[in-house]
Amino acid sequence: LSKDSNVLHFYFSEARDRLKQIREEQSRSSREVVDIWEQFLSYFSDKLGNDVWPVYEQVCIAACDCGEISLAHRCVRELNRQFPKSFRVKGLEGMVLEANQRYDTAEHLYKTILQDDPTNSVAEKRLVVIYKSQNKIKEAITELRKYLDSHMADTDSWLELSDLYLSQMDYAHAAFCLEELILANPHYHLFHQRYAEIRYTQGGTENLLEARAYFSQAIKLNPNNIRALYGLFLCASNLATKQRSAESKNMKYAAWAAEQISQLYRKLGGRGTKSSSDSTEQIKALGGMFDKLQLTSS
Amino acid sequence: VNEGAIRQNAAILDYCRTSVSCLAGVTAGIMGLTGLYGFIFYFLTAGMMSMMLLTKAGSSWKKFFSSWSVLFSSGLFGGLFTYILFWTFLYGMVHVY
Amino acid sequence: MAELLLDSDIRIWVFLPIVLITFLVGIIRHYVATLMTSEKTVEIQQIKDSQALIRSRMLRENGKFLPRASFEMRKHYFNNKDDGYFATQKREPVVKNPMTDPTMMADMMKGNVTNVIPMIVIGGWINWAFSGFLTTKVPFPLTLRFKPMLQRGVELSALDASWVSSASWYFLNVFGLRSMYNLILGQDNAADQTRMMQDQMTGAAMGMPPDPSKAFKAEWEALEISSHKWALEQIEDELVNKNDPLLENVRAQRNRNL
Repeated sequence: LSKDSNVLHFYFSEARDRLKQIREEQSRSSREVVDIWEQFLSYFSDKLGNDVWPVYEQVCIAACDCGEISLAHRCVRELNRQFPKSFRVKGLEGMVLEANQRYDTAEHLYKTILQDDPTNSVAEKRLVVIYKSQNKIKEAITELRKYLDSHMADTDSWLELSDLYLSQMDYAHAAFCLEELILANPHYHLFHQRYAEIRYTQGGTENLLEARAYFSQAIKLNPNNIRALYGLFLCASNLATKQRSAESKNMKYAAWAAEQISQLYRKLGGRGTKSSSDSTEQIKALGGMFDKLQLTSS
Repeated sequence: VNEGAIRQNAAILDYCRTSVSCLAGVTAGIMGLTGLYGFIFYFLTAGMMSMMLLTKAGSSWKKFFSSWSVLFSSGLFGGLFTYILFWTFLYGMVHVY
Repeated sequence: MAELLLDSDIRIWVFLPIVLITFLVGIIRHYVATLMTSEKTVEIQQIKDSQALIRSRMLRENGKFLPRASFEMRKHYFNNKDDGYFATQKREPVVKNPMTDPTMMADMMKGNVTNVIPMIVIGGWINWAFSGFLTTKVPFPLTLRFKPMLQRGVELSALDASWVSSASWYFLNVFGLRSMYNLILGQDNAADQTRMMQDQMTGAAMGMPPDPSKAFKAEWEALEISSHKWALEQIEDELVNKNDPLLENVRAQRNRNL
């Protein structure tokens, strides 16, 4: 018997530690969390002691992800019994409602939370999410702007706002959001690349010049960023047609980018599992494409 | 580069630093090192810990720390305080009385 | 100088108890403080102010990565004379009179109860109970200047500076055990007060300077004098010519001449 309990205890601590690890890493392995809880840990919830509350919260969110509404309800009920007035539990309740697609009730709930505690950022963000999932992008944008007006340094929200603007094809505003991200994180190549893409999409010589600079910055930060290399190539070859005065300069940039891209592909082709003839063919095709692009542009 | 990750690494480094200086202090106290030898011992162990971290991280240490001076110097003097305390404590316990 | 011999009873009844007391008091203080901390209520205006300050600082530091127009636009937003954020926002100093604000009062009381009072009480008690002992000797020679620091309560001019009196041993413990609390109680513990002060979470930068308008003024000035120099001016050439050692040399020389 004692051996059995030892084994049980071993599994128990294993499960507990795994949940804790997931919590700390903030990885969203919701299925795994729900499975661990359902199959094992729910029978030992007394044994967790005070650690049981964060576990309930975690399981509740995971259950919402997996559509296990009844499990999520159970977790919220337990938490409500322990912390009857907590805004955090109320937020969870709202999330369960959302998972149940009862958006109006959830919206109402979040609004009451915000009335009592205007600094509650979770509720405010959830409101944005509700609008977004109902495809009310306009409302989502207004709500998120209201949030960002007071939380100006929240970079994740700026990123989300830029996505929303992009989906509305409002490039000027999206560019503004990305500028904010670059300010907060100037050494992250993807932000520069994204910003350049937006400027490129906006068009016009001025924007293209800036797009060229930002693509270059992205490449400088990460020489393997192939998307930025393509972007630089497109920008430069586009500019070459527009600006007669700087044509040779732009052609030089475009040629350099093309060279870098084919080099990268050669390197990757050599390393990959594909047969070498396949990859050389691809490179040839690529070279042909570049030639064509340059022909049309010149 | 993630702000949180940097802070996490710094916290772990701090943790290592404290433990090592604590252990080194105990050792030095029991061994009865005095004067300059004790300080040399501390800087030796601290350097050794940094080297061990370096070997553990391998060639990719650049991924974990922004510069190697951080790896060697951060918390060096905070650790020294802990070291002196334990050194004095154990030295007092074993050798003075 | 003759070697002093200490009674080994001092070790058991003075030296060890002081270490234990300081250590345990630190741990108890941690738990008491966690029990007593109340949820801090923050005004949304405060969040807004602190985040605006963060954003403006980022603008100053990393503004060189933005195009000129964008930089000027943001600077205008903060510093414009008529409707700039820093120019128009007039905050009353948040330094409320602690007597009129009961929550403030309670917070101050708690801070005192957990930090200052134990320090005084325990320090005083140790001074009273264990005064006049020499407890230990630091294992390294020290100059005479350290004497008043290490030999508080024992005024013997002939004594070697490396001997430590009981009161000073207590203070040594208080400061030296700080990082040990870190080790045992985890990072953010209350036993360690200095860390709390410099707690700098960028996300939860709720700690506002006591007087926002003063901070705004300083930030306004700093932003006003910061000018824009685009870091990406020559980036394409830099990139394309990176692998060209000849050009690199030329450019380096030109820079030197400039």
